Amino acid sequence: MPAALAISETSSQLGAIAPAAAAAPADVLARLVGVGKIYGAGEHAVAALSNATLDIRAGEVTLIEGPSGSGKTTLISILGLLLTPTAGEVWIEGRDVAGLGERELPALRARNFGFVFQGFNLFPALTALENVEMAIAMKGGRAAEARAEARRLLERVGLGPRMHHLPSDLSGGQKQRVAIARALGGNPPILVGDEPTAALDTRTALSVMELLRELASSSRRAVVVVTHDPRLERFADRIIRVEDGVIASIAEAAPNLAPRSHS
Amino acid sequence: MVASPVTIHRWVTVRYLGEWRKWARCAAKGRHGGCCALPDMWNLARKLLLHDRLRFAVAIAGVSVSVMLVLVQVGLYFGFMDTASSIIDASRADIWVGKKSNDSFEFATPFDERAFYKVRSVPGVAQAERVLMSFAQFKLADGGDLGVQIVGIETAPDRRPLLEPWNVVAGDARRLAEPGAIALDRSEYPKLKIDRVGHTTEISGVRTEVVAMTSGIRSFTTSPILFADLRTARSYLPQLGGEPVTYVLVRVEDGASIDEVKARINALPQLAAYTRAEMSERTRTYWSERTGVGASFFTTAVLGIIVGFVVVGQILYSGTLQYLREYGTLKAMGARNSAVVRVILSQATISAGLGFAVGAPLAMGMRAAMKGANLTVALSPQLYAATAAITLAMCSFAALLSIVKVLRLDPASVFKA
Repeated sequence: MPAALAISETSSQLGAIAPAAAAAPADVLARLVGVGKIYGAGEHAVAALSNATLDIRAGEVTLIEGPSGSGKTTLISILGLLLTPTAGEVWIEGRDVAGLGERELPALRARNFGFVFQGFNLFPALTALENVEMAIAMKGGRAAEARAEARRLLERVGLGPRMHHLPSDLSGGQKQRVAIARALGGNPPILVGDEPTAALDTRTALSVMELLRELASSSRRAVVVVTHDPRLERFADRIIRVEDGVIASIAEAAPNLAPRSHS
Repeated sequence: MVASPVTIHRWVTVRYLGEWRKWARCAAKGRHGGCCALPDMWNLARKLLLHDRLRFAVAIAGVSVSVMLVLVQVGLYFGFMDTASSIIDASRADIWVGKKSNDSFEFATPFDERAFYKVRSVPGVAQAERVLMSFAQFKLADGGDLGVQIVGIETAPDRRPLLEPWNVVAGDARRLAEPGAIALDRSEYPKLKIDRVGHTTEISGVRTEVVAMTSGIRSFTTSPILFADLRTARSYLPQLGGEPVTYVLVRVEDGASIDEVKARINALPQLAAYTRAEMSERTRTYWSERTGVGASFFTTAVLGIIVGFVVVGQILYSGTLQYLREYGTLKAMGARNSAVVRVILSQATISAGLGFAVGAPLAMGMRAAMKGANLTVALSPQLYAATAAITLAMCSFAALLSIVKVLRLDPASVFKA
C-alpha cells in the first residue's frame, strides 16, 4: 500500500449507505449498492462478486486491483452496465438501472460510459479519425458532427497530426490514445479502462495514464481503471482491492499527496 | 444481457427486413441526409471489405459466378422456350386450331380438310388458313438423308398469309408459291450441306429448290424447319394420304370477340382452339415439363445461387469474426445492434452490386460465345432485374449468419481476454 493512500472504507461499511442511494451527492456519477453476481445455478453456481458497494465520483481516478479471478472484471462489467447483477442496485442518472434490459441499456451506456481496452480494439481498416467518428456516429451523433467531434477529440489526445493514419501505422501508445479519444466520443462522464496500459512500455504507459489523469481532473470525469500495474497507483485518487469476489479495501489518497498531473 | 435465441428469432423474422428498409432509406438519402446517424456506411463497409483484398476478390468471384450461372441458365431456358414457340409467336393468327388429342405442337396429328371448312364457316372468322406440319427426309448432297420439319403454309399472290417465314435475308419468299420451292434458315445450311439460295435437291423423291434464306428460325427439335407451300408440303408427305391439315389458323373479324369465336370452334367435334398466347404457352409448358429441360436449367441456376450464398456467407462471416472484438467494443459503448447490422448489410449489398456488375457482362460474353453454337441465351431487361434482385436477396440472407453472430455478441465479452 503506498504511503499516500489510507484505507478509508470497506465493502461492509459502505453497505450502510444503501438507503441513501437515491440522494447521492452531485459528484457521485455511479453507485453500486450491495451488488453481487452469481454465475450458473444450483451445484454449479459460482459467486463471482458479493455485496460490493462503491461510489464513482466525478474528477477521480479509481484503480481496481486484485489477483486474476478475484472479480475485478465482473465489478467493472456491472459498473459499465454490460452485465446484470444477480443482487444489489446500480445507480446511474439518479435511478436504479440494475433491472433494465438490453433495449434501454445501450443508450444509457452511450450517455455515461466510454471504454478503453488493453488490445485497443480499433478497426484496422479505418484511420484513427474514422475509428473515432464511427463510434460517435453509432452512439447516435449526426455524421457531420461526428467527424468534427472526432477531429477535436484526436487533437485533444495529441494525435491531430496522425488522425489520417491507419492503426498499423501508429505506435501502441498512439493507438491507445485513439482508443481514449473514441471512448470520449459523446462526452460520457465515466471512462472505464481494462488494463489500458498492459500492452505498453513503461514510458508510454505512464504517458497514457497521465492523459487519463488529466481528463479526470480537467473535465470532472470519473476514470475507473482495472490494472495489475503498481506503477499506476501514483495517479489514483482511490485504490480498490478486490479479493475472492469481495471488495477487500478502498484506499484513498491523501489530498495533498495524490498526484493530479505528471508533466 | 446476451440476446436470447427467441430474441434473435424475432429479430431475424420480423425486424430484419425492417432494418434493411431503414438502411435502404438512409442509403438513398445519402451521407448527410439527416435521417441517419451513421456515417457513410458504404464507405465504411467498403473499407472493411477491402482491408483483405484477396478475401474480397473471392467473394466477388463467388457472386459473379453465381450471377453468370443464373443469367446463362435461365437465359438458355428462355431461349429454348422462345425457339419452341417461335412459329406460333411469329404468326398473325388470333386462334390456332388443332386436334383435341394433340400433346405437342411439332408432333400434331393431321386431320381431314373438311374440318378446315367447318372452322372457316364459324361466325366471327374473318380469315382461316391451313397449316400442315410433319417430318420428311431431305436428300443431302453427299447422298445421305436428314429429317426435316415441314411447315406447309397457304401462300397467295393477293394477300399476306397468317404464317410465313420471317427474317428473310436472301432470296424471295414470294416464290414459295412455286411448286417445289422451300425456305430454310441459314443456321441449318451446314447441317443440310447446302451453301446458297438456288440449291436443288429432293425431299421424299420430289424435286426441291431453296428459294429463300431466313435467319434465326430454329427448331426446338434437332430437325431443321423448312417452309413450303401447302401443296408442295403435301407432295412431300404422301404417306398422310388425302388432303391433310395439322392446324387451322384463324383471324377473327374486326370487333369480334376472340374468346367467343374460340368457344364456337371448340364446340366443333374433335377440334381444340387456343389463342395464340395460349398455344405458345402450351407448347412451352410441354417442352419444359415433358423433357425436364425446365427442371434441369433451373436446378443449375439454383446451384449457382447456392454457390454464391455459401461463398458470400462464408466471407462475410469470417469478416465478422475478424472484427468481433471491435463490434463488441462499439456495442459496449452504446452502439445499437441495428447500427452494427447495417454495416454488415452494407457489405452484403456491396458484394451483391459488384458481383452483379462483373457477372452480368460475363453472361453477355457467354451469350455471344453460345451464339456461335446456335444456342440462344435470351437475356431480357426483366431477367437482369430479377437476377439483380435475387443477387441482393442472396447476399442479404447470406449475411444472416453474421448478423446473428453480432446480435448474440455479448458486449461484456470485450473484457475477456
